Amino acid sequence: MGVIETGKPIIKNLNKTQKMVLASLIFATALVLAVVESMLPPPPIPVPGVKFGLSNIAVMYALFFLGWKQAYAIALLKGIFVFATRGAIAGALSLAGGVLSITVMLLLMVLFRNKISYTGISIFGAVFHNVGQFTVIALLYVGMNIWAFLPILLVSGVVAGIVTSTLLRFVMPAFQRLV
Amino acid sequence: MKFFKKSDILIAAVLLIISLGVYLVYNSIYGQSETKAEIYYYSELVQTVELNAGEEEIFSVSQEPDVVFQISDDGEIAFIESDCPDKVCIKTGKLDTVGQYAACLPNGVVLKIVPVGERSEDDPDIVVGR
Repeated sequence: MGVIETGKPIIKNLNKTQKMVLASLIFATALVLAVVESMLPPPPIPVPGVKFGLSNIAVMYALFFLGWKQAYAIALLKGIFVFATRGAIAGALSLAGGVLSITVMLLLMVLFRNKISYTGISIFGAVFHNVGQFTVIALLYVGMNIWAFLPILLVSGVVAGIVTSTLLRFVMPAFQRLV
Repeated sequence: MKFFKKSDILIAAVLLIISLGVYLVYNSIYGQSETKAEIYYYSELVQTVELNAGEEEIFSVSQEPDVVFQISDDGEIAFIESDCPDKVCIKTGKLDTVGQYAACLPNGVVLKIVPVGERSEDDPDIVVGR
């Protein structure tokens, strides 16, 4: 891990403080990406509330190249940020989606190591981000039928996963300059 | 780890096929059944309207006059006006299938499509937090 096609380790040996600073920079990037995304026009599809989740790019970078603790920390902080700015329900949604998605991506990374690509992990991450959010919505508003929404969750997850991993590929050099 | 592998296409294809399958099965079970729309205002059922094709209607509920619904002549219902900031309820578009759902959380208004007649005990109450 910590190695992309070039074979060069991305994160050199960082001490604790450097890791913490890097994690907070990535967290800041996640917030900026979320703001940028909210300014973009929504994807031209008839389903509301579906977005690419660009801030997931930052979370994925943290998970892939920094460590799982940092990734969870970023998801938690993002949940708190959303709670403070957009309210309790939005915060719970963000937290549930983020934590479940990181957990699934982490499991895939451990289980499949070199058999799976970043894109594959990203797709599952996005799908389970949706599933986590939907679970919270279903708990809050009892009576929702998961089968009616599953197709939307899956399709939008696949698209968002491909988009975020493609973007991660291009954003990577910028992230590496943070180190 | 690589950025992209051929197996990714397989993963994406399997997920898309599953979602298509779920969609088709769901529609074949519920797509044709008679439906009505229930409108909730903060957990309380305030209005139930039959969704009949051929009658166009625009209305709002007394608790929240700023939220306007429209039943189109093909028997679909949609939010068409609301004073909320994000307009998620309007963007949800037209609903006509059982289980579909649109909500305007800032105003506490929830629109839910249910089957006509059968109101089973399994249908839990909606609880909307204030």
